[in-house]
Formats: sequence, structure tokens, C-alpha cells
Amino acid sequence: MAEYKLYYFNAKARAEIIRLIFAAAGQKYEDIRFEREQWPEYKQKAPLGQAPFLEVELNGNTFKLGQSVTIARYVARKFNLAGKGDEEQAEVEMYGDQVSDLLNELVKVHFEKDETRQNELRKKFHEEILPNTLKTLDGKIAHNGSGYLVASGLTWADLFLVNILEWLGDKKEAALANFSNLKSLDEKVRSHPRIAEWLEKRPKTEM
Amino acid sequence: MAEYKLHYFNARGRAEVIRLIFAAAGQKYEDIRFEREQWPEYKLKAPLGQAPFLEITQKGKTFQLGQSMTIARYLARRFGLAGKGPEEEAEVEMYGDQITDILNEIIKIHFEKDEARKAESAKKFFEETLPNILRTLQSKIEKNGSGFLAASGLTWVDLYLVDVLGWLGEKKEHLMANFEHIKALDTKVTNHSKIAEWLAKRPQTPM
Repeated sequence: MAEYKLYYFNAKARAEIIRLIFAAAGQKYEDIRFEREQWPEYKQKAPLGQAPFLEVELNGNTFKLGQSVTIARYVARKFNLAGKGDEEQAEVEMYGDQVSDLLNELVKVHFEKDETRQNELRKKFHEEILPNTLKTLDGKIAHNGSGYLVASGLTWADLFLVNILEWLGDKKEAALANFSNLKSLDEKVRSHPRIAEWLEKRPKTEM
Repeated sequence: MAEYKLHYFNARGRAEVIRLIFAAAGQKYEDIRFEREQWPEYKLKAPLGQAPFLEITQKGKTFQLGQSMTIARYLARRFGLAGKGPEEEAEVEMYGDQITDILNEIIKIHFEKDEARKAESAKKFFEETLPNILRTLQSKIEKNGSGFLAASGLTWVDLYLVDVLGWLGEKKEHLMANFEHIKALDTKVTNHSKIAEWLAKRPQTPM
């Protein structure tokens, strides 16, 4: 029996995909959230000096992992949310990388200090980058018949997609307007009993 | 017997790590390189409309994969270059994500049009970001005793690290002077017979 401890700030941000995977899997874990002032102390424990990081107690050993998407892939594989077989697993990772790219673009927009550039980047994101990726993913869902990104059913890439759609806030509805398959996937995942339970009970944080 | 076709521009860019994996594994593949003008035609074939992409034909079926890191991980697993066991595999992916962070910064700086911002970003990169990551990677190499990033020996992230260090051009030597274990890894990998052979015969391109 492995024991899991997730360490992050009190925020959804880059840790939430991991929490969604634990929720979907019905797997218990310690959801450790520290304040900004405590970070220097936790930073020393983090395998790469970054958050989120995961500690796994396995067979009397402690294994530590950093990098949110690597942690997501690792736990997804452990809990059978990574797809069936090597090829489908790679397909899932491909969609995960697409969503990760979107997330990085959003973060770039968010942290841009120059207002003119920020407006430019935001425009490009919402008019080009986001719709192009959503169009590709919508097409994949339509193509494979399961209602999810891959043929075998729910995987961590679906959770990650739903996670990033949340980041869009009040822009989400407009973004999904032309993508009925994505809209259905989003609704289906959010109403999955274990996910719905998590969305209901998780700490409410701005980011 | 699987057949592999890698599709990319005539450049190292985001495809080179994949080519290094094929080389290290001694695995034949078609190294398809197209000109910029041909891209619109290849874009239609690409699973995500992006390059690089890989086509694998096995048992009469063709499987397509996009996203350079997903392709790298998939091939590394197939060729035994991904690390031993789920924990080491995840650890290796974690270093891969770190190295991608370096590559993304290099690319960001390269394409920055504003001269002042470019200089500022380059300064931060060479004085802070890059040394911090190299310091972390160096201590891992030191700690695990194999001379590589993973305890079990050569994995795809050693190839990736060497690839990305190559992007530093004339700054590389000066930097390596401060990171002896990384320098040793770089030397070991570039002298590995199959890698040395590839480095000697590969097309010479500016990027």
C-alpha cells in the first residue's frame, strides 16, 4: 500500500490536475497546502526546489517527484487512468502535452507586466492558440466514439482538459460554443460522482 | 518489425532528441526533412497539425504521434532507454521536464524581437535560470553514482541534456567549467560510439 503526500500552495494552479487524478481514482492522499511564507522551508524538501512535489511511501522507502505533469503521468499510470497499452498511453500523453502548452501560454499572458504586450498576447491566445487547440481536441473526441479523448475511456488528459477549461473563467462558455464534443466531455467529467464530490468539497481559492 | 518515419523541418530543433534516441538504440528510421514551403502539405498529415510527428507502421497498421516529448518518451520506453521501473521512469521524466524548461527559455529568447527585453531575458537565463537547473541536475548525477542522470545508466534525458547544451554554442565551454559532472556526462554521451557516429554524419544545420 503506497501512501501519497502532495505539497503545494493553497491554490489549484499547477497542482489541481494531480488532485483531480486522485479524486477520479478514489485514492486517499494528504493534500498539504502551505502559505507563501512557509515556502522557503518546503523548498528545501522539494526534489527540484519547486512545487508541486509528491512524496510516495512505498515498501518502506520514500520516493519524491517534482514537475506537475510528470507527477500526473506517474499517478495516472498507477491508477489506470493513463490509457490502455503503449500506443494509447502515448496518445494520451500527446493530448496532455497539448493542454500543458495551453496552460503555459495562459500563464505567460497572466504574468506579462507590459500592458500592451499583455493585451496582444491575450488576444492571440483567445483568437488563435486556444481555438486551434480546442478544434483539434474536439475533432479527436468526435473521431473515437467513447466521448473521451481516447477510445478506451476516461484518462488524465480528460481531467487536465477540464482543469484548463476552468482556468478560462467567464470566457469558458464562449470558448466552447463551437465545440459540442468538448462541451459534452466537460459536463460528463464534472458530473462523474468522484469528480463532482471533489469539486464540491475542495478549498475555494482564487487561482 | 515496426517501421518508423520521423517528419520535421531540416533542423535539429525539437526533433533532435528523437533522432538521438534512435541513434543510441541503433534503430533504423526514415529521417524525413521538409522545407518551409512544403510544411502546409505535411501539416495536413500531422496528428496535431504540428511538427515533429512520428508515423509508426506495425502489424499492418499506422499509428501517428505528435509532441516531441511524447514521441521521445514513447520511443525511449520501446528501446529500453526510459529507466528501470515506474519510479525511475518518472524520475527520468522529471529531468526531461527540467531540460524542456531550459530549451523553452532558449527558444523564447531567440524569438524575442524587442532588443532590450531580449538582453534582459538572456541575462536572467545565463545568470540564474540555467545555472540553477544545472546545479540541480549536477547534484543528481553526483548522488546516484552511475555518471548519468538515472542510477541505472544511460536514458533519453542524458541525450536530451547533451542536445540542449549544444544550443548554448560558444557559451557552453565556459558554463561547463563550473559543472564538472555535467561536463563528464556530456563527454561520455558524445563519445558513445552510436552517438558519435550520428553527430559526425547528421546534416549540419544552424538550428
